Amino acid sequence: MTAVAATPDTVLFEPRTAERRRAVALAALAAVGLAAAFALLLERFAVLEDPTHVPSCTLNPILSCTSVMTSEQASVFGFPNPLIGIVGFTVVLTAAAGMLSGARFGEWYWLALQAGVTFGVVFVHWLAFQSLYRIGALCPYCLVVWAVMIPLFLSVTLRNLQRWQLSLTRPARAALAVAVDYRSTILTAWYLTIALLALQRFWFYWSTLLP
Amino acid sequence: MKTDAAAANPPRPLSPRVRSALIAGALVVVAITGLLIYALATGPRGPAPRQEAGALPATRADSYVLDDAGPGAPTLVEFMDFECEACGAFYPVVEQIREQYAGQINYVIRYFPIESHANAMNAALAVEAAAQQGQVEDMYHRMFQTQAEWGEQQTSQADLFRSFAEDLGLDLAAYDDAVADPATQERVQQDLDDGQALGVQGTPTFFLDGQRLELSSVSDLTDALDRALDESGGA
Repeated sequence: MTAVAATPDTVLFEPRTAERRRAVALAALAAVGLAAAFALLLERFAVLEDPTHVPSCTLNPILSCTSVMTSEQASVFGFPNPLIGIVGFTVVLTAAAGMLSGARFGEWYWLALQAGVTFGVVFVHWLAFQSLYRIGALCPYCLVVWAVMIPLFLSVTLRNLQRWQLSLTRPARAALAVAVDYRSTILTAWYLTIALLALQRFWFYWSTLLP
Repeated sequence: MKTDAAAANPPRPLSPRVRSALIAGALVVVAITGLLIYALATGPRGPAPRQEAGALPATRADSYVLDDAGPGAPTLVEFMDFECEACGAFYPVVEQIREQYAGQINYVIRYFPIESHANAMNAALAVEAAAQQGQVEDMYHRMFQTQAEWGEQQTSQADLFRSFAEDLGLDLAAYDDAVADPATQERVQQDLDDGQALGVQGTPTFFLDGQRLELSSVSDLTDALDRALDESGGA
């Protein structure tokens, strides 16, 4: 019974159920991210057509797509950021659907996904910083993108590190095993950190909502 | 016997997944508890301001009444942030309404600079400094007409606002003194505090005869004004 128990050194190939579960998670996260990026782009078009249009995600001075969408940071690369999300999340969604239908992707494909989600997670944190401390508003659809980007990054990264762990040092492998076991704690702590920063930053506003 | 059973059936350790979920849950609970304690310690906003005798509804005696049709007329109060885009978008609408209802309603402006707008307070101070020289309305127009030039910027636009004062022919020495005077900021803060106590959550927020208006279109505003005028005797 204990003979088959996985130790950090032996987990090279996961059971298919774990792979499936990951594919389902990737597909769901990418679909949500895609929907948010799409909605954001539609609102962007609506504002371009009619500058007085109030987007569905502009709820109050702090939760406001308008302030965020019209900022310089909203098109860092010269075109609206949601376009990146629409392309990127579609790639992940398609790949995850492929996995679910039985496709196996080469390691170079996973490497490319890793590059994509790494860019995504860094970009999202840069945007979070800008949103909190430079623009001074939060855009709900953007929050959705942040929220899916983090687990997407964790999931792909942990999968890849497990797959490539033979090239890791022993302590790194042990740390990886802990990270894999405690990924829900990592994700929660990550979310909480951002949530608390947002609460702290806009406390002057949230406190006015208290009864 | 008892020890045998214990040995045969050792308590199963929690699987790492379950343990991780428990720790995550504990983190959330700790965070929420901490937050609640903090919220209770810092306290909610103060009590609603008392309506000053002689002042129009939802205003103070020193509030700026841009259109004065007398105490019997409906009173429209706007809490505004000069940097807020929605206020800028409402500005032409409000101007049209002021023209349309000229002589029938009171129109009062009150400051509600939002902290996330870097120049909202600077703009409010400039308007208040101009107000002390009797030019509140000119500065109010100037702010909204130029909002696109200076809004949404992180750097201080105080120099630009000073140039507005210069254009308006204000006494610049008095203007500078007023902007630097903590009392000017307190005057703005007073409106902000009153607004929060009245339940203002964003800008622009309109009050008609002390009642907060929930607007989804311009006609909501004119409809409310028409109703108020009907009630006050169809001026």
